[in-house]
Amino acid sequence: MKRYPAYDPPEYVDWKPEPDVMKGFTATLSREPRRAAVVADLSTDKLMGLYEGMLRFRLHDITLKRWVRQGVLSKAWLGTGEEAVTVGNVHALRAADLVGPMIRNAGACHEMGMPLADLFRAYLGTADQITHGRDIHTGDPRRGVVPPISFVGSLVPVMAGMALAARLRGEKRVALTWVGDGASRTGEFHEGFNFAAVRKLPLIVVLQDNGVALGTPTRTHTRADFTHLGAAYGTASLTCDGNHVLDVLAATSQAVALCREGAGPVLLVAKTFRMGGHATHDEAEARAIFPARLFKTWGRRDPIGMYETWLEQRQQPLMGGRENRQVLAEIEDKVSREVEAGAQEALDSRRDSMPDGRSLREGVFATSDDSTEPAFPPCPVSATGAAAHR
Amino acid sequence: MEGVPATVGAPLPETTYLDAIRKGIWEEMEADESVFVLGEDVGAYGGAFKVTRGMLDRFGPDRVLDTPISEAAIVGAAIGAAMMGMRPVAEMQFIDFIACAFNMITNFAASSRYRTGIGVPMVIRGPAGGGVHAGPFHSGNVEAFFLNTPGLKMVQPSTARDAHGLIKAAIRDPDPVLFFEHKLLYRHIKEELTPGDEIIPLGKAALRRQGDDLTIISYGAMVHTALKAASELENDGVSTTVLDLRTLLPLDNEAILAAVARTGKVILLHEATRTGGLGGELAAIIAEEAFEYLDGPILRVTPPDTPVPYSQPLEDAFLPNAGTVTAAARKLLDY
Repeated sequence: MKRYPAYDPPEYVDWKPEPDVMKGFTATLSREPRRAAVVADLSTDKLMGLYEGMLRFRLHDITLKRWVRQGVLSKAWLGTGEEAVTVGNVHALRAADLVGPMIRNAGACHEMGMPLADLFRAYLGTADQITHGRDIHTGDPRRGVVPPISFVGSLVPVMAGMALAARLRGEKRVALTWVGDGASRTGEFHEGFNFAAVRKLPLIVVLQDNGVALGTPTRTHTRADFTHLGAAYGTASLTCDGNHVLDVLAATSQAVALCREGAGPVLLVAKTFRMGGHATHDEAEARAIFPARLFKTWGRRDPIGMYETWLEQRQQPLMGGRENRQVLAEIEDKVSREVEAGAQEALDSRRDSMPDGRSLREGVFATSDDSTEPAFPPCPVSATGAAAHR
Repeated sequence: MEGVPATVGAPLPETTYLDAIRKGIWEEMEADESVFVLGEDVGAYGGAFKVTRGMLDRFGPDRVLDTPISEAAIVGAAIGAAMMGMRPVAEMQFIDFIACAFNMITNFAASSRYRTGIGVPMVIRGPAGGGVHAGPFHSGNVEAFFLNTPGLKMVQPSTARDAHGLIKAAIRDPDPVLFFEHKLLYRHIKEELTPGDEIIPLGKAALRRQGDDLTIISYGAMVHTALKAASELENDGVSTTVLDLRTLLPLDNEAILAAVARTGKVILLHEATRTGGLGGELAAIIAEEAFEYLDGPILRVTPPDTPVPYSQPLEDAFLPNAGTVTAAARKLLDY
């Protein structure tokens, strides 16, 4: 994949697959027979979809970072280095399932089928998308994406309630949300997960342990080992390598299966590392908090680079008649153009469709013009199908 | 506004304020299977005050959910279910405990429609108010905590008929409603419920008494204090209007301004403490929009700025009563 020296973390700029890193990547695939079976069953379309999804996420974030540099935005919250633990999770779901991403999980939005242009529009505050410029956090009920609020942990009880409603209606839907290591310390995480546990709700909470709560390293805010946290609630705990998209996907598939058979909720712990700041404004602070070797160690494990290398080295062709490397380059080219087009559409909206100050007071309460249909309607017909990018 | 309820026709069995709420929820659950209740001890135990008594047997454990002591989870789960089209009715065992769910209510539920167009049709209800010697954590009135949060509706009935009609309207409302029940009224007042005229729309105040000299604006249990004070004032030839707000958000400005315009003098009476209370907001509305009708200062009659005390003599001194209201009225009438 193309690297972007102006925007990538320095460790990614000259990224090369190192033999020990790739050996570890391959070893993880055979560590757990059930996960190995899930991975063995993946179609080439699915394999390419994961690559495409992570690239889409990375390039989405790079676009935001570029806009920050250009003064289009004041800041952005990125998932750089953590793409696998969003994309791998979402690709284990069905179209009818429900996700509640944190702002750092923007990849969940586009992998559930939201157009990139709408994600960019939310950041730009334009009127022609779900928030009408009233918030930066976005989502799309038609695609099962719950817009978050800034309060990390709050989505855990909310997603539990959605899982509860789905079950009350007899729908086989799974709800999935993310908390960081930091958000796992909130009361709302605890209350919500415990509520889901006693009700055996089909809820997956991905504990995306990226080593830091804004500017406080995990060891400073948590004494316990997250690996066993589920036991405190009497639920299944799974762990996966958060930088290994296939391990994330396979572990999430296990969690989904548990939920669908009534053995939810599941806490899925994914260890990863934030390769930048809390947002674009404090990357220097992030570099100062941690020893340089941590960035170096995790920098060798770029989730996209590792997966790309694994696909390239794979014996089976992704598409007949072409080398895997060439197929991946074509995917990259397609996604790059898609991201550029989405960004341009959003910039067009910023030119043409900014909210009118006169609309300020609209939308606080329902009016007679509002639909009386539920925001997240009963399970659509496509319940078992795959979403746009899956 | 509606008139003072008249007793007509054959007498019907009287229903307590508590049973009126219970009946309202029950009827909505019968009529709409998306309505369900959740909260601490609401199932087999029937709720701390028995508002949900019998519901578990009738509607089953999927629609009457006992929860952990987790107010944030109760409200959070209600939000999630509401976004999916359910109509959750979440009980706070005492309304004081709503503080533990403050973030979910103010930051998530209240702003949801504005942020994203996603409506959250849920009710959070619970017993509020003092006068039962229950101390600082079981006697609170929390409306002022939420008054400054756009996107919420707030209701507090003062009669059994209103309790019944307003809880039904709250459950049917497309937006989040905080429904404050005055625990002193639960079993102390009862009334015939008239069949047919069941839903009482939110946002409409009720004129409890019509007079020309003075208006007392109040809500909840203090409406009865206002009516008692009005009777005492009548003995002195003072004719008093008593306006019961019923809905605290959004306010019925039309009814408030009409009452003030008629009498020119107004007392704002509530049981929540003084500073930052609803009375201040009402005073501002009246001063801004009915200044030319006023012929005296806008007076507030409220408890002082202290926690609700436990010991009986202290609580008696804390709460407004007919005496403190009539004293304020006489001061105002002297203008």
